[in-house]
Amino acid sequence: MKRIAGWMLASPATLAITLLLVLPVAATIGMTFGPSDGGPWGIVQPYANFFDSAFQRRVLWRTFEVAGWVTVISLAAGLVTAYVVARCPPWMKSTLVVLAVFPLLTGVVVRSFAWLVLLGRQGMINEFLLWTGMIEAPLSMLYTPGAVIVAMVYIFVPLMVLVLVGVLENIPEDLLQASSSLGAGPVASFVQVTLPLAVPGLIVGAVLVFTASFTSYATPHLLGGSRQMMMGTFLQQRAMVAFDWPGAAVVAAIMLAVIVATVLVMTRLARRLNPMAT
Amino acid sequence: MTLPLTIDAITAHYGTTKVLEDLSLSLAEGELVSLLGASGCGKTTTLRLVAGFLQPTSGRITLGSKDLTRLPAHQRDIGLVFQNYALFPHLTVRENVAFGLKQRKVATAERLKRADAMLDRVGLAHLADRLPAALSGGQKQRVALARALVIEPPLLMFDEPLSNLDAKLRVDMRVEIRQLQRANGTTALYVTHDQEEAFSISDRVAIMHQGRIMQLDTPEVLYQRPANAFVANFVGFENLIPLTVSARNGALVTAQTAEGAVLELSQDQLGPIPDRFTLATRPDGLVVTTDPAASGLPATLGLRTYLGRAYQYQAKAGGLSVVANSALSQPLDAGAAVRLTPNPEQCAILQPE
Amino acid sequence: MTNRIHPVLIAFTILIYLFLLGPLIIIFGASLSDTTYLTFPPQGLSLRWFENIWEISAFRRTIVTSLQMAILGTSIALLIGIPAAYALNRYRIALPGWLSTLFVLPILVPEIVIGFSLLRSVTVQAGIPVWYALLIGHTLLVIPYVIRVVSASLASFDFSIEEAAVSLGSHPAKTFFTIVLPNIRSGVIAAFILSFITSINDVSVSLFLTGPGISTLPIQLLAHMEQFFDPTIASVSVVLMLLTIIVMIIVERTLGLAIVAK
Repeated sequence: MKRIAGWMLASPATLAITLLLVLPVAATIGMTFGPSDGGPWGIVQPYANFFDSAFQRRVLWRTFEVAGWVTVISLAAGLVTAYVVARCPPWMKSTLVVLAVFPLLTGVVVRSFAWLVLLGRQGMINEFLLWTGMIEAPLSMLYTPGAVIVAMVYIFVPLMVLVLVGVLENIPEDLLQASSSLGAGPVASFVQVTLPLAVPGLIVGAVLVFTASFTSYATPHLLGGSRQMMMGTFLQQRAMVAFDWPGAAVVAAIMLAVIVATVLVMTRLARRLNPMAT
Repeated sequence: MTLPLTIDAITAHYGTTKVLEDLSLSLAEGELVSLLGASGCGKTTTLRLVAGFLQPTSGRITLGSKDLTRLPAHQRDIGLVFQNYALFPHLTVRENVAFGLKQRKVATAERLKRADAMLDRVGLAHLADRLPAALSGGQKQRVALARALVIEPPLLMFDEPLSNLDAKLRVDMRVEIRQLQRANGTTALYVTHDQEEAFSISDRVAIMHQGRIMQLDTPEVLYQRPANAFVANFVGFENLIPLTVSARNGALVTAQTAEGAVLELSQDQLGPIPDRFTLATRPDGLVVTTDPAASGLPATLGLRTYLGRAYQYQAKAGGLSVVANSALSQPLDAGAAVRLTPNPEQCAILQPE
Repeated sequence: MTNRIHPVLIAFTILIYLFLLGPLIIIFGASLSDTTYLTFPPQGLSLRWFENIWEISAFRRTIVTSLQMAILGTSIALLIGIPAAYALNRYRIALPGWLSTLFVLPILVPEIVIGFSLLRSVTVQAGIPVWYALLIGHTLLVIPYVIRVVSASLASFDFSIEEAAVSLGSHPAKTFFTIVLPNIRSGVIAAFILSFITSINDVSVSLFLTGPGISTLPIQLLAHMEQFFDPTIASVSVVLMLLTIIVMIIVERTLGLAIVAK
């Protein structure tokens, strides 16, 4: 009875996700396998082809690099900011949280565009540096890995701050009081109590930022262009410009594999490192 | 190590709400004093002020010759036992106990030796490598105690340390706490809302209400000679009967209620009785008799409940509502007219306020 | 907290917030420029780029499409997501454990992979018209948010009051609307707002599903940026930010913003 009622209520969502997500994505992955007699690599020939190209290897590696840097920088900046925000008096804390939520709710296109305005050839930073006389000719900052990383950090820091404020607030206050009553100063308490207890949350934040930057499209498209192709922009280029759908499917499958592996490994690690869970 | 603690005229606020007003309290070396009261009475605030988690608006706190008032919490050197144990979940039992020694830069080998010795004293040596999550409540509380004791603080503080344990364990643990505190001779401040716990464990008890100490005395004095109506009520004197002396005959005093009912009391048993006073009695302090000729308060019985060793009656004595226990084997019915005679053993005299 | 925060940490935090908000303020300034190229500070002030938004028909059309997708997609997602969230919480033991994993797949699977897969199967293989394919994509995109946010408020809902209502003679289906729904109202509103914003800002799914004549605003913005570098984009951005501020004020007034951070 309960079983039937439960399934009835859950079936529309189950059907929609199965038919419109699981099957199409499975079909995409299915088309990445070549014929069983196709070439020395057999059915994984399309993957062999992908890794055979130095350009495509470069795209994949660049995506790892950019996503890695974005994750590390966001984690560091987010942790410091969240630590301060979590310790502020309540009225100030809510103001700071609102100020972090605002950029988060503003679209990725708008926020990436802001960096186009700042970093462009006639952008604000160049105009300013020319005006001060520090440079003679405008610097070209757009379409560099640095531009993509800065803009992505800009996009993901608010998310990281909000996640980490939640994580830090979940650490019971009396543990920090116990630590200071036993003689630990603010730094010692942070290193010996706060940080070890925040690790699972830090991992969650890092996974969120890594997966989102690994698969992002708009920011690398606007600030990296075709010179700094990443997996997202490459997938779009294969599918919509080159009309090489099998090639695009291989890119999609590799992205999916990286994301699923990251999420599985890291959530398992986070669970292992969570002292509250044992 | 042990030092006296002096709290001098402390006032504290949460935001604009005043939670403590001009509170003073001194603990002699090696003395255990409890702060006893309902939640919101300011007892925990007092402890947090001494611990350094809150700042007083005014006043001074000194430990021995050291002024704690503006000192950061981590420099106060106070052993603190928390209500929720506050064990570090990511550290083993041994590491938890050694934590304070680590902050004091005690060498690794030495601090593990001392941590193990302390765990041995609280009977948990065999659990040293466990994580706190694998311990029972009583074991957690022992670890918390060991962690606070191992740093050999001149002052120990307990914040409702037993309130999360079951009744049997509470009794065992409080004996253990008292023994360890006695053995070390450490001054101790103990916060609780449990009267039996406070009375059983303390040298002196401060009963608190609305940010003030209502009475600070030994458990015996508090239990038998409460100084005011609040404390009397707190320690179980449920009936408060305002009286005026109408005649004195040596130690014997005759007193009347506002409605003219007459009671006879002896100063030999109750101590000096002023002209206007309140007689505080426990339910056992009013003896129920059906003899209409007996002296005492005329009363009409109301609801009866059965306590096992006695019946308890809600009664109306003139305009007063009182509670009386009666050991009479025969229960009396509601509406019965009786006399209530004070039993001096269960009564106290309150001075006019 | 009585522990003082080290001034270096405070200074760092102020810098981070300048980093977060500075660029958005610059867009505000740029949108008011009266020159045909982007400069900041603007040489002179004008609102002509705001008027320009409505004059460019592509913007006009895509704004309408984006609103249609956000409103319809979110509504459909609520219609199928709320029962699913209810089932997950009410009949957890009767349902298999993988079901809740299935429901988060649209978040786990990269949007761009979903977009590409939908292009292949829905638009090309099944031949579904562009507008409907877009709607399918947007609905799919926000279903997990609906399920997650509504589940969070159902998790704190005491199902015994539902049983109390049924024991008092209320029909179970009616009880859902009279007892359960009013108690999870704030979760439903939050789900709507979060989904609406996710949908209106979406790039990666829409990227593959837009077609001749039908596009969404973010995609149109990207296309416009490739050809022109004028302050119209800045003024569209400002309009979007104002919309965000209005939403935030509504959320703050009704639910408290903490709900967004979940």
